[in-house]
Amino acid sequence: MVNGKRVDGRGVEDVRPMKIVARVLNDAEGSAYIEWGKNKILAGVYGPRECIPRHDQSLYRAVVKCRYNMAPFSGAEEHGRSGPNRRSKELSKVIKEAFENVIISENFPKTEISIFVEVLQSDGGTRCAAVTAAAVALADAGIPMKDLIGAVAVCKIDGQMAVDPGKEEDNFGESDMPIAFSPRTGEVLLFQMDGNLSREELSRGLELAKNASAKIREVQMEAIKKVYDEPKEDRFLLIG
Amino acid sequence: MDKSRIVMPGEMVAERPERIGYAFVDKGKTYSTVVGLYSEGKLVPLEGPYEPLPDDMIVGIVSEVRFSGYSVDTNSAYAAFLSSREIRERYEMGDTIFARIIKTDETRSIELSDAKKLPEGRLVRVSAVKIPRIIGKKNSMVDMIRANTGCEIVAGRNGYVWIIGTGDSNLAEKAIRMIEAQAHTHGLTDRVAAYLKSQKKA
Repeated sequence: MVNGKRVDGRGVEDVRPMKIVARVLNDAEGSAYIEWGKNKILAGVYGPRECIPRHDQSLYRAVVKCRYNMAPFSGAEEHGRSGPNRRSKELSKVIKEAFENVIISENFPKTEISIFVEVLQSDGGTRCAAVTAAAVALADAGIPMKDLIGAVAVCKIDGQMAVDPGKEEDNFGESDMPIAFSPRTGEVLLFQMDGNLSREELSRGLELAKNASAKIREVQMEAIKKVYDEPKEDRFLLIG
Repeated sequence: MDKSRIVMPGEMVAERPERIGYAFVDKGKTYSTVVGLYSEGKLVPLEGPYEPLPDDMIVGIVSEVRFSGYSVDTNSAYAAFLSSREIRERYEMGDTIFARIIKTDETRSIELSDAKKLPEGRLVRVSAVKIPRIIGKKNSMVDMIRANTGCEIVAGRNGYVWIIGTGDSNLAEKAIRMIEAQAHTHGLTDRVAAYLKSQKKA
């Protein structure tokens, strides 16, 4: 931190630039692509469809499944072979649990709703970007939800709380805390913390994250509206 | 229709509790659960999975022949069953049928009746919420496509559209894709009519 500016020139309350395009995949029922800072993430949603394996089925609700995966070329250090590992299993689980709170799954007994998240390029805060993109993909698929959720991380750098840490701030900062909100009710749906924070720092962090999540919701809504403002028969990514 | 606005999941549609489809009530206020068009107490989803209802006419594909009847793929998470007692024809795996739903239960298994085998054609899968637009008011849209392409269109409530290929089925498919993409807009019938006319000359 130099003169209140962070390593990439942002202030403590500034979120990195974010762009979302909804409905980018032809065969997934819903999809979204997000560029958040240097993160590039693609999310696709299938379902409700028949739940396989059948022992996962519930007679009362749809089962929410999530697969978060990092491409082998996504980071500065090579991630090796992609596929389930300790990290991606953890993130799949927390993302799934965040969405279980908002998806109205009682409407679709015996089915599954699958969320697939592919991280193409990572630069800190991929789980938050994944939640943000997956929420747009779910809305695009028309799956009933109680809210359009978003997530953002807060961190502590040089003793100050700041929102949306990039990779450097995440790696060398003192603490990192990703949070997902339901903007309608203010409920916290995902909450993790690395490092230590005092009570005051934590409540300051929550406040920062809450302010940021309002901005994130704007971007999400814009992406969904754009699908209907400029209807296309073929779905594709607009490069540039 | 003009006053309708696009609402997002979690967006408030009414200040007091109201019973609106695709909406829910929380702390005395009503919120949308889907991306939809809202106007005067009606919320129409713009996208969504097919939810089977009795008396829906659907297009299905026979996926399994069993002793007592047929399992039918219905473009939804739920398989349908057509009992042999309900029909006189015999089907084979892969046949396309047009049938009526007679019953669904709380686990959403579907029972079919009044089935009819469809002649050879082409299957287009569209979002189920767009079927009313493809059919049009009093079949106007389907009639228009038939008149301009010479193809019979059978639109199932479940989102399967069967184009019976005696005419220009490529053009018919393109028209259906166009309707699907622009289902939420006004003046669609005129635009589709103009499109069909321009393609027909070429």
